[in-house]
Amino acid sequence: MPAPSTSKVGRPGFVWALPAAVFFTLFAIVPLIMVAVLSFMSWDGISPPEFVGTDNWSRLADDPVMLQSVWLTLLLTALGVVLQTPLSILLGVWAAGYQRNRAVLSVVYFVPLLLSATAVSVLWRALLDPNFGIPASATWLFGDGNLFGEQATAIGVLAFVSTWQFTPFHTLIYQGAARAVPPVLYQAAEIDGAGRYRQFFHITLPQLRTSMITSMILMTVGGLTTFETVLILTQGGPGTDTTISAYYMYDKAFKSFDYGTGSAIALALVVAATVVSLVVVRLSGYDRMRGSTEGVS
Amino acid sequence: MTTRARLPRLVAAGATLALVTGLSACGEGNGGGSSDDGRIHVLVYGDAANKVEQQIVDTFNEKSDVKAVLDTIPGADYQKKLQTIISTPQAPDVFFNWGGGSIKPFVEAGLLLPLDGFIEKNPDLEKKFLPSVFESAVVDGKPYGVPMRGTQPVLLFHNKKVLADAGVEPPKTWDELLGAVEKLKDEGVTPIALGGGDVWPTQMWFQYLYDRIAGPELFAKAVAGDKSAWESEDSRKALGMIEDLVGTGAFGKNYDSVKYTNGGSVQLVASGRAGFELMGSWYYSQQLTDQPEFAEKDLGYTAFPTVAGGKGDPADVAGNTNNYYSVLKKTKHPEAVAEFLKLMYSDEFVKAQLDIGNLPTTTGTDEFIDGSGTPEYSRFQYELVAEAPSFQLSWDQAYPQKASSDMHKAIQQFFNGQLDADGFIKAMQALPTD
Repeated sequence: MPAPSTSKVGRPGFVWALPAAVFFTLFAIVPLIMVAVLSFMSWDGISPPEFVGTDNWSRLADDPVMLQSVWLTLLLTALGVVLQTPLSILLGVWAAGYQRNRAVLSVVYFVPLLLSATAVSVLWRALLDPNFGIPASATWLFGDGNLFGEQATAIGVLAFVSTWQFTPFHTLIYQGAARAVPPVLYQAAEIDGAGRYRQFFHITLPQLRTSMITSMILMTVGGLTTFETVLILTQGGPGTDTTISAYYMYDKAFKSFDYGTGSAIALALVVAATVVSLVVVRLSGYDRMRGSTEGVS
Repeated sequence: MTTRARLPRLVAAGATLALVTGLSACGEGNGGGSSDDGRIHVLVYGDAANKVEQQIVDTFNEKSDVKAVLDTIPGADYQKKLQTIISTPQAPDVFFNWGGGSIKPFVEAGLLLPLDGFIEKNPDLEKKFLPSVFESAVVDGKPYGVPMRGTQPVLLFHNKKVLADAGVEPPKTWDELLGAVEKLKDEGVTPIALGGGDVWPTQMWFQYLYDRIAGPELFAKAVAGDKSAWESEDSRKALGMIEDLVGTGAFGKNYDSVKYTNGGSVQLVASGRAGFELMGSWYYSQQLTDQPEFAEKDLGYTAFPTVAGGKGDPADVAGNTNNYYSVLKKTKHPEAVAEFLKLMYSDEFVKAQLDIGNLPTTTGTDEFIDGSGTPEYSRFQYELVAEAPSFQLSWDQAYPQKASSDMHKAIQQFFNGQLDADGFIKAMQALPTD
């Protein structure tokens, strides 16, 4: 073994991390292990749990609702990213300007951010009432207004409400990032005769790259764990048409009192979310990234 | 090196701490909220009716040496929390429930005390209640619950003005209802408002039609585990009638987007854009709150129409029979509990329930109805329930709680055409019955 370096100041001992480690163990690792164990058991909350081997898992593998829920989750996540990213980039870059009217309007745009997901969902369910809500006064667009009665429109509503709710948050990320772009870049571009569009595509967008990845990871994780929007807006319906994986887990565990199957879904979700995050981090090169203003300052 | 060697020890320490914290939490609960503290713990669904429950507990405590305590769990979480504590030392002595399927799993797990012993000593504990209501908390032939709130039969409500404008009388038979639907359609209103987004309002049509056509026996068989009941001829006939009714456009096209719980369907009837709505008896006070003017002038109500050639008694009703107090086997004070349950048919109880708008189901309720807030409406309901040969408990409450989610899915999917009759039958047969 090579001799330790001459540096006298050692790295902080593990004790420094103890409080966080204990909390993480108590509230993340221990429950996770319990969920993993429970996924191999049959338990209704009343009688003692029984080991049933891989029954829960094999039943889930053959369950069309489970399979559909995976696709629905991915679809809603993808819709969220596709809808929110361009919207929040445009809004964020626009809001980054220091004009007074932009400041005032930005405040208005950020209002949804202050509301809880539950309040937002209750609000939209009422606003979209087919007889007394928005659909009733725009029949040319909504027809008979049966938005929650068909799969395509119900998914559309879910994607729209999430977008309405979370775009302000991502706008905030892009606003901050856009303001951090060194003005010298724009000044140089102007001297070179680049117009505003050119500046946007060749300076602003590339400079926002790290923020974009951060924002997309947050959107992906948020999309995969979406729950209360579905719980309140559609309850997974009509039938099982909007039953995403997280809602299906709740449905199994807390409505059907089948904690074993619920735990199996939960564990699958944890694994899936971890894999997706890892893939995103790898593909985007996020793990190799350094400061975004590298080579500028 | 030393830093690394410390890691396993710290993990072990963390795990131990976790275990100790977990254990001490258990210990604390054991001493605090359980029945071992020499009192009777009465656990109820937390809502506005709790003031009556508190009043009754206070009355009980005046005379009894063993004191009772009222514990409440806020409504939405009630069933989930009950499910998690009922087999633990924190379980109450007496708890609120919906009878039927809501207690069946507990009975089968051997947790509940059959009340036949109490009734043997004091027959009034059964005789003082309307039989069709008391029946709902009988599981496997033994009584497990004493009615403790009000009954909520499902009635067919209508907007008098809308019906008069269309030249329609409140229907007494199914054919009259179909006729009314056609006339209301011609008038350009939605014949029947339905909060399909909530699903349980849709279920009300199923439970009444099944009862009218097949009698209460079909569902009783099904809930007892005989799954062939669902594929019987009567079952298919009821499903066919539902399909026809939906097909004629009786509920309009967007019922699945309408909700009762956010007032959507309530407003449809009150604003005159729909003629009928099938709903529990709480509908009256709901309309009275939302649209007082309409409720007092134009809100009409009838029993569910009769169906020609059906096997069920036309006087049968369906809905929420009542709520019940059930007793846990492990209670240390059975005598005191029996005394407590006696209060559920006392005059004080009946008056207090009527005062908050509930309709208690004791045989003595009759004489106090005239003093209630809405005597005419209360009397209509009381007589309907008192004369009903059978009171069909709402399907999702008659089945074990764990079946209700899948049941609702099947009901919604059949109603909106995603499932055909065979698909619905298969889905109902797949529901757990124990």
